[in-house]
Amino acid sequence: MTANSAAHPSLWSQCLRTLELELTEQQFHTWIRPLQPVDEGSALKLLAPNRFVVDWVQENCLSSIIKVAGHVPVVLEVGSRKPPLVAAASTAPVSQPRRPVIGSQLDSNFTFDNFVEGKSNQLGRAAAMQVGRNPGSAYNPLFIYGGTGLGKTHLMHAVGNVILERDPTANVAYVHSERFVGDMVRGLQHNTIADFKRTYRSLDALLIDDIQFFAGKERSQEEFFHTFNALLEGQRQIILTCDRYPKEVSGLEERLKSRFGWGLTVAIEPPELETSVAILMSKADSEEIPLPEEVAFFIAQRIRSNVRELEGALRRVIANSQFTGHPITLEFTKEALRDLLALQDKLVTIDNIQKTVAEYFKMRVADLHSKRRSRSITRPRQIAMALAKDLTTHSLPEIGDAFGGRDHTTVLHACRRIKLLRETETRVAEDYGNLLRTLTG
Amino acid sequence: MAQIPLPLAVGRHHRFENFVAGSNAEAVARLQALAASHDPATLWLAGPAGCGKTHLLQAATSSAPAGAMYIPLRVTGASGPGMLKGLDALEFLALDDIDAVAGDHEWERALFDLFNRVQCAGGQLLFAAGNPPAHSGLLLPDLASRAASAVVYRLSPLDEEEALDALRRHAQSRGLELPDPAARYLLTRISRDMPAICRWLDELDSASLAAQRKLTVPFIRDALAERT
Repeated sequence: MTANSAAHPSLWSQCLRTLELELTEQQFHTWIRPLQPVDEGSALKLLAPNRFVVDWVQENCLSSIIKVAGHVPVVLEVGSRKPPLVAAASTAPVSQPRRPVIGSQLDSNFTFDNFVEGKSNQLGRAAAMQVGRNPGSAYNPLFIYGGTGLGKTHLMHAVGNVILERDPTANVAYVHSERFVGDMVRGLQHNTIADFKRTYRSLDALLIDDIQFFAGKERSQEEFFHTFNALLEGQRQIILTCDRYPKEVSGLEERLKSRFGWGLTVAIEPPELETSVAILMSKADSEEIPLPEEVAFFIAQRIRSNVRELEGALRRVIANSQFTGHPITLEFTKEALRDLLALQDKLVTIDNIQKTVAEYFKMRVADLHSKRRSRSITRPRQIAMALAKDLTTHSLPEIGDAFGGRDHTTVLHACRRIKLLRETETRVAEDYGNLLRTLTG
Repeated sequence: MAQIPLPLAVGRHHRFENFVAGSNAEAVARLQALAASHDPATLWLAGPAGCGKTHLLQAATSSAPAGAMYIPLRVTGASGPGMLKGLDALEFLALDDIDAVAGDHEWERALFDLFNRVQCAGGQLLFAAGNPPAHSGLLLPDLASRAASAVVYRLSPLDEEEALDALRRHAQSRGLELPDPAARYLLTRISRDMPAICRWLDELDSASLAAQRKLTVPFIRDALAERT
């Protein structure tokens, strides 16, 4: 990073030191850390990711920067010095893939080989493979629809990768629909819409993800309509994904909907249990992590919604196992995923503790608040106070308040008393243990 | 309340070194490793207020080597979702308080767009919210499902001994001498979360300076009585 840094690296470090003292820590992390100094002859040039950052810096601390810079002129503008991205470094193929003219690099991790086939996605996979082998002629457009996180994007990239494999000179672009809209708006703003059109219409294959986001954006739809026609006429491949059947997308022009149906429309359904298990096993396998089948079944049974969540859960288990050095077993997995699988965050509150304790000892919550001092009430009250102390971050006075306005010394006494009794009386230890388990799930 | 940052306040900054991890050691180790690398990753920290999410996010932002940004959505949210534009140019983004914008259509669309761009660019994304993604109140299914692919760490609040340790460390970083009985006394009378601990230490710091007295149990008792 530093090699590519500013002409005045030490000057910028000096600015940073000054700003760190002048601003609050949060302001520094929010508005100064995103600034990137670049080599710009004799000036100190700072690039900000957007207008908001530029405005804030101008208003709040540009004068300080200028002061530290002394005779060196300071330039502040929106921009990025990020080098052109290369696909995930660890898996980058030996021959450098062609940089797409627009959109993002195809993700080389998404291939047909690691796309786990099941009943839910068989048709989609077969169609996509066909398209990869015969782009522009098999099914055009290929329209893949289904719920979020089921593998539509994976299939789309896999087709793109096959096309590139067979013809490394092909011009393939993967573009998220939001990005298409963004590019177009920028084209209109900067009077470069002609370039925008030319670039998009020169593609060999256009892969557009999540076209439901075109809904309601008439100008983008209009532009896309023409791009679509131009590509189709030139027998270039178009692949689209959407979260629902084309006809069901509201806010989409009829002429687009009907065109989307010209080629082949395939659905991807949520994976059946067996497919989910196979997905987990294949994922673990690719990372060379031994995953017992019963563990895969356990995760798959509990996470039915989509593949992304399935992978998130697996990643969590792997991370936990790598941190603790513990092998992945069923018991270990249950423990590692406890937080994730708990349906609702079991936030322990004093209210909750009082209700649970009252229920446990078959008494009323009001008794816990009351002034009554019979032992049958005092003991549960003390237990509840001790639990409140152990399970919440409330202070003793706050706990006292929640128990009918008692003094904090009463709470302190209760905590000490229960601590002692848990060591000497089995009954109290048991009651306390049971309640603790109930409350913390 | 205006806080005038002094050069001496460096020890009070949110850093990994002054974070009391307690039972959250795994999350801390993971974040440290993340901030020290350029590997693409998406992490989600969940936990109740005061358990250290903000501290960790800022600590990670501070150690991230290249262009980084800490975005406290509860504070900067007022600027509108446009402030997320172009942030994919940075390598490290820490978005705090997702709860502040969850359920807002425009914000969720903007977060979704940012998420996609950062993933394409191979950047690092760090989120913090009260709950894990599935219960975070995100309404846009596309965003919720992407968030669900993050590695989730649930942070737990400190227990009594850990809080005592934290109290001691923070007192030390302020150059305050806090004898054990006084520390224990204070801790049973204030909330055990970090913001409360730091707030009270600041109060006691200036009170002891003004009164030219040491932090003893009687002094703390009087100071607390005056302020509550």
